[in-house]
Formats: sequence, structure tokens, C-alpha cells
Amino acid sequence: MLVVDNVTKRFATADGGVTALENLSLEVSKGRFVAVIGPSGCGKSTLFNIIGGLVEGYEGRVLIDGQPVDGVHRDVGMVFQEESTFPWLTTLENVAFPLDVAGVPKAERLERARALLRLVGLEGFESRYPAELSGGMRQRTAIARTLAFQPKLLLMDEPFGALDEQTRLLLGDQVLRIHRELQQTTLLITHSITEAVQLADEVVVMTYRPGCLKRLVRVDLPRPRDSAIVSSPEFGRLVAEVWSDLRAEASRGMQDIESHRKEEIS
Amino acid sequence: MAASQIRLLTLVAILAAWELVARSGLLYQEVVPSLLKIAAAFVRMLFEKDTWRHFGVTAWEVGAGLAAGYLLGLAFGLAAGTRRFFGAAVAPYVDGVATAPKIVFLPIVMLLVGTGIGSKLALGALSAFFPVAINTAASVRQVDPVLVRVGRSFRLSRWQMATRIYVPALRPSLVTSLRLGFGLAVVGVLLAEIKLSNAGLGFLANEHYSNFRVADLYAVLVLIFVVAVGLNSLMSRFAERRNQRICS
Ligand SMILES: Nc1ncnc2c1ncn2[C@@H]1O[C@H](COP(=O)(O)OP(=O)(O)O)[C@@H](O)[C@H]1O
Ligand SMILES: [Mg+2]
Repeated sequence: MLVVDNVTKRFATADGGVTALENLSLEVSKGRFVAVIGPSGCGKSTLFNIIGGLVEGYEGRVLIDGQPVDGVHRDVGMVFQEESTFPWLTTLENVAFPLDVAGVPKAERLERARALLRLVGLEGFESRYPAELSGGMRQRTAIARTLAFQPKLLLMDEPFGALDEQTRLLLGDQVLRIHRELQQTTLLITHSITEAVQLADEVVVMTYRPGCLKRLVRVDLPRPRDSAIVSSPEFGRLVAEVWSDLRAEASRGMQDIESHRKEEIS
Repeated sequence: MAASQIRLLTLVAILAAWELVARSGLLYQEVVPSLLKIAAAFVRMLFEKDTWRHFGVTAWEVGAGLAAGYLLGLAFGLAAGTRRFFGAAVAPYVDGVATAPKIVFLPIVMLLVGTGIGSKLALGALSAFFPVAINTAASVRQVDPVLVRVGRSFRLSRWQMATRIYVPALRPSLVTSLRLGFGLAVVGVLLAEIKLSNAGLGFLANEHYSNFRVADLYAVLVLIFVVAVGLNSLMSRFAERRNQRICS
């Protein structure tokens, strides 16, 4: 379904340039749920934007169903890290937006949007505006909106990054349910180990800048899962395994950021 | 005290001061006529058919000029705000011309479209264009970039991007633009009418002035003032109502 082949991306900056990704390869086969985890600044969002076709000028190839990505691919749906619901539309109108743009007749698009809102657990909030909802509800609205686009590959960039741990675990249940119902091929970018292990079939650990694939951890926890799995010994073992790989990268990231601070101060 | 009460008090104070000056004889009676005279002239004017003919001409010039200037300014502002190269290329010239009073273009406009209603309309459009274009371009740069990326991820066309993302994201600024454009279109049209015309409220005011009918002149000014303030508050009321609907 998705093949990322030897991708390298450099950004030109005032002090020479940053290599955000270096020789990164990864594969997501149909129906799978893959999580990419890495410390802040390791190039996760860059990868997300490259696969989504929003960033150009990189080396290597990105293939979707064997086709090289050139601009935004019809079969890719993106859920952004930032707050991205349209504040001028109601929840229902937000979700119906991609259908509206595609010219789907009103009755049909509203019906489909309603079904999707039900799927993400927002039944009864159809006529609310984003400002009236909590952050978690807004992100679920954004997920439902992207699902309405009917992507074959769902990309999510830290969709729950700004939320607290409990909310995130419970939203994870919703994501699992969506995945179960739609069998949607999903690439989730996250910095949360529990989230990655709770949701994914495979966890890809990225190195700190330049980002490349450090290790692939298979999560063979049985499905269907829910957030109760967090307390199982198997879950604990997997979290520890991911952390042992991630730890070195996270501390490199932290040192890097701290040394920049020092330079700025001195 | 509520803002509306303060405003009312200010108005009463100004009128009282006016009347005091008028009666004291400090200034020529003819230049500062008493309120009673102005009110009488105003009422008389309201019942004259000619007044409404002139009013209609000016309203048409302002309305059509504003509509043209607003739409062109909007399109231009969107283009300048979203296309960095275009924006950088034209911004200094637009900013430069924007500061010039548009009445200086009247001779050129008259050479192009004649001295009739078209020239007033064009001057209204020209006056409205610049504030709308500049305000729109500036607000486009304030639009949350993630909303633009959402639009791109849904593969919106350029036109859909403008109408489905930028225009709604810019709604408060669109109303501000309309108010700015309206104010300047009124000024542009009236100035052009005063300069050279045979119809419109500007022409009427100029006629009164030339024949030294000062009270009638003030009556025309009061009419313009009342209509302009009324329309302006209507527009801001509309903006507030729509904002509430979104944010409540
Ligand atoms: N447009 C850009 N221009 C310059 N540098 C960038 C740009 N986008 C990202 N970077 C740099 O690339 C690195 C990776 O960023 P990003 O992909 O956002 O990381 P993450 O999402 O993992 O936190 C960071 O050091 C960031 O400063
Ligand atoms: Mg990121």
C-alpha cells in the first residue's frame, strides 16, 4: 500500500541547513496499523507531509499502491497535529466538507457525515461549533472529516498530542474501533509510547535528527483491543522494549535542544 | 453609563454648543444658522422630489462603485496575500497609490469614460479598491496555515481554496473592508460630484453653496451623514451577529 524508499530531506536554514530525514525506508501493507514514534524534532511531521504530498524537494521515492506520489494523492487522508477544524462550520458541516467540495448531494453528504460522527462518538453534537467542543472532540471531528474523504491510507500526525493521558487512552479506544470497522490502513505518528503500543500492529522507532528507521517492533497483542490492555504484562514488556530503543534518541534530542539554549544564552 | 447614553449626551452637547454660537452672533449668522432654520430646510428638502432624484443618483454611484471596487479589491488582495511573488511585486505600488487622494485621478477618469455618472462611479470604485485590497492582503497572511493545508489535503482547486477556505476564514475582515470601502467610496463620489456634475447630492450641496443657501447646504450634509452612519452601523451590527453565532 505505502512504500517509503530511502527518503532524505534537507531544509535550507540561515545557519547552513538541517537534515530532517536521512535514508528513511518503511512499508505499510494494506489494512495494517503502523505507528511511527520518535522524539520531538526528529522529522516525524516532515515524513507525514512528504507522504501526504505537501512537501516536495526530497531524495528517494514514496509510492502509494505502486504509484509515485506527486502532489496530494487522492487516496491519502491527513489528520494534522494542529487544531484544524473550520471554526465557521458546525461539526456536521465540518465532516461533510470534503463531500460538499466533491459535489455529493446535500441529503447524502449529511447522512454520511452523521454516520461518521456516530463512529467517532460525537452523536448529538452535530450542530455545535468547534469553539463549543473540547480539544479531544475537535480532533475527533477532524478525524471524521478526513474519513469522509474516504482515503485508502489514513495519516495522522500526533492527533492527540495536546491532550492529557487519560483522554488519550480513551480516544485510543475510539481509534481502535474505527480501525476495526473500516479496516483502514493507518499510519499514526506519535511521541507517546503507550499510544503506539496500544493501537498499532507495528511500531517504527525513529532516530533523532537526522531521522531514520532505528528499529521495528512488532506488537502481537490480540485484537480486538481496548485501553484495559495497558495493565497487561505483555503490554508492559512491549513498552519497555520500545523505550529501550527510544531512550538513547530522546536523550540525544534533549541534549541537542539544551545545547542550543546554552548557545542562545551565551 | 452605557456607550449609547454617552453618545447621545455628546450629540446633545454639540447641538447645544452650535445653537449657542448661532445665537450669540459671534460668527456670521449665515455660516452658522440656528438649528431651527436647518431643521426647517431639512424637512422642506425631504418633501422635494428633486432631492430624491439626486439621492438616487448618488446612491447608485456609491453602490455600484463600491460593489466594483470591493470585488476587484477582494480578488486582488487574495492574490497578493496568497501568491508571495505577486504580493512582493505589487505591494509597494499599491501602498503608494493608496495614500494619494483619488480625486486627482478624476481628469483621467473623465477622459476615459466621459463626465457623466460613469466617472463618479469609477471614482467611487477606485476609492474603495485600495483599502479593500490592502486590508484583504494583510488578513490573508493571518489565516491559520493549517486550514490552508487541510484544503490542500482535500485537493481543493484554486477557486475552491478562495471561496471555501479564505473567504470564510476572512469573514470579519471582509466586513471591515466593506465599511472602509464604503466610507471612501462616499467621499470619492461626493468629491467628484462637487467637482463636475449635474446630478447627485454633491451637486445639490454645491448648488446651495454657490447660491449661498447655507441652511439648505447643511440640510444636505445632515442627510448624507444620517444615511452613512445608519448604513455603517447596520454593517457592524451584521458582523457582530454573525460572529456571535460562531463563537457563542
Ligand atoms: N520548513 C522547514 N524549514 C526548515 N526547517 C524545518 C522545516 N520543517 C521542519 N524543519 C526542521 O526539521 C526538523 C524536523 O522537524 P519536524 O518534522 O517538525 O519534527 P517532529 O514532527 O518530529 O517534531 C526540525 O529540526 C525542524 O526544525
Ligand atoms: Mg511534529
